[in-house]
Amino acid sequence: MPDDDYDQFVTERLDRLLRYATALTCDKHLAQDIVQDVLLRARQRWGRIGEMAAPYLYVKRMVTNEFLSWRRRKARRDVSSTHATLDELAPMVADHAVRHAERDAMRARIAVLPRKQRAALVLRYYEDSTDTEIARILGCTEGTVRSHISRALQKLRVNENIPSEVLR
Amino acid sequence: MNEQERLIREAIAAEADQAVDYRAVLSDLHRAKPRRRPIALFAAIGVAAAVAAVAVIVPLGVDRGAAPGTVDPAAPPAGQAPAQNVLLIGLDEVTNTDSVVLARLGPDGTASAASLPRDSWVDIPGVGMGRLNSAYARAHSAAQAEGRDGHAAGAEALVLTVEALTGTQVDHYASVDMAGFGALADAVGGVEVCLRTAAKDQFSGIDLPAGRHSLDGAQSLAFLRQRHGLHYGDLDRITRHQVFLRSLATKVIRAGDVAKLNELVEVVRANVRTDPGWNPLELARHLNGTVRTATIPVGEVIDSEAGARLAVDPAAVRTFTAGFFADQPATPSTTPDGSPVGTPAQPTPEDGCVD
Repeated sequence: MPDDDYDQFVTERLDRLLRYATALTCDKHLAQDIVQDVLLRARQRWGRIGEMAAPYLYVKRMVTNEFLSWRRRKARRDVSSTHATLDELAPMVADHAVRHAERDAMRARIAVLPRKQRAALVLRYYEDSTDTEIARILGCTEGTVRSHISRALQKLRVNENIPSEVLR
Repeated sequence: MNEQERLIREAIAAEADQAVDYRAVLSDLHRAKPRRRPIALFAAIGVAAAVAAVAVIVPLGVDRGAAPGTVDPAAPPAGQAPAQNVLLIGLDEVTNTDSVVLARLGPDGTASAASLPRDSWVDIPGVGMGRLNSAYARAHSAAQAEGRDGHAAGAEALVLTVEALTGTQVDHYASVDMAGFGALADAVGGVEVCLRTAAKDQFSGIDLPAGRHSLDGAQSLAFLRQRHGLHYGDLDRITRHQVFLRSLATKVIRAGDVAKLNELVEVVRANVRTDPGWNPLELARHLNGTVRTATIPVGEVIDSEAGARLAVDPAAVRTFTAGFFADQPATPSTTPDGSPVGTPAQPTPEDGCVD
């Protein structure tokens, strides 16, 4: 049946797409909206997408584009309070909690990165994509990919605060 | 990996873990599916060569409405057309009848299609007992010898034979060259089928190992033709036709762009002949995608010197046809396999694989 291939793709990849989109958007509901929209559109064009060598890569690109051009801006999480809380807690808590807090701090910092930088970061560190793949997904050159990532890393480093220093 | 990268990985993974449960989204997506999927349903008709022609056209008319010149988009909706009985004939390159399907197009836009095995041993009006597939060829060559249109004569002879056998009046016919399926298979870039066992047969020229294959034009024709070496002979081949046509219809639907579809329609047009004054494209706009398929009841396989033939009880066929074609608004089957009431047990390839 015509939709079988599509159905199989969705069943196999939906979870990963949702996670990817959530990592991109830092908003699970927005991620869900994007992934649903994209998959419904992909179904209409499944004839061509399904024929491709890497349908997942293509759909991921659709999701990424949707994220990059998302107009309905949803209220972003309040990240500043997280920072404040962390600063207070950091010196006092146990190692495990410190790591946890440290991770959350990083999450918060990633969440405020410019979208393209964030997308490049997620692709490299979550999807383990090569620079070539990232370039294809973001529709830019590999040089631009590297520049996005290095700028993102720079910002995340500049903003490094107490918890990570404590660990080192 | 340095400490910062490790932390970034952890942070992004933690973020990703916030994702909503995919199962909820999956059911949302299923709900969002269009309820009526005429293409998929129509693909299911998959009974005979000629039907694939319609399967190619229906998506244009019903679903896309975007192919100028193929189907009039302003056509009246289904429901106005009177019931029609149409004989669909699949021919090989030497005018042997490879498949015969009698379809009834209901006034409500539904279609019922009954396959008539080509080896059925039947009464050919004016000739006597013979194999169903000989009716066309005999009349074709006789007419050509007299300088008349062989195809028209062949089709008319087959129409008479089928009318006599089924007790059903045939309003129109459409014949299609099986070679057209080779052209279609090539045009869509190959048709996927799955073989349970290796197929090798010198008559059809097929030579494929077991497993999934994307058949090009030549392989498609061999696949559709092979009868020798198949356990149920022609009945297996009917199953192959159905599987092939579903797969072909899938590829056609996937073709996507209008230019490609128009190319396919041209391939179909070049390979389809009909009785004068009837345009099979008309078919498309009258159908709503609900198709029931079945095979007429046949008896035992009789091996004779001239090859296998299938015993057929005309009375049983008439009863079956009358029942199958009777308008049955109560239980319109929309399943791919229809309701094979009174048909011989035909293995339904649930995994899409055939012998």
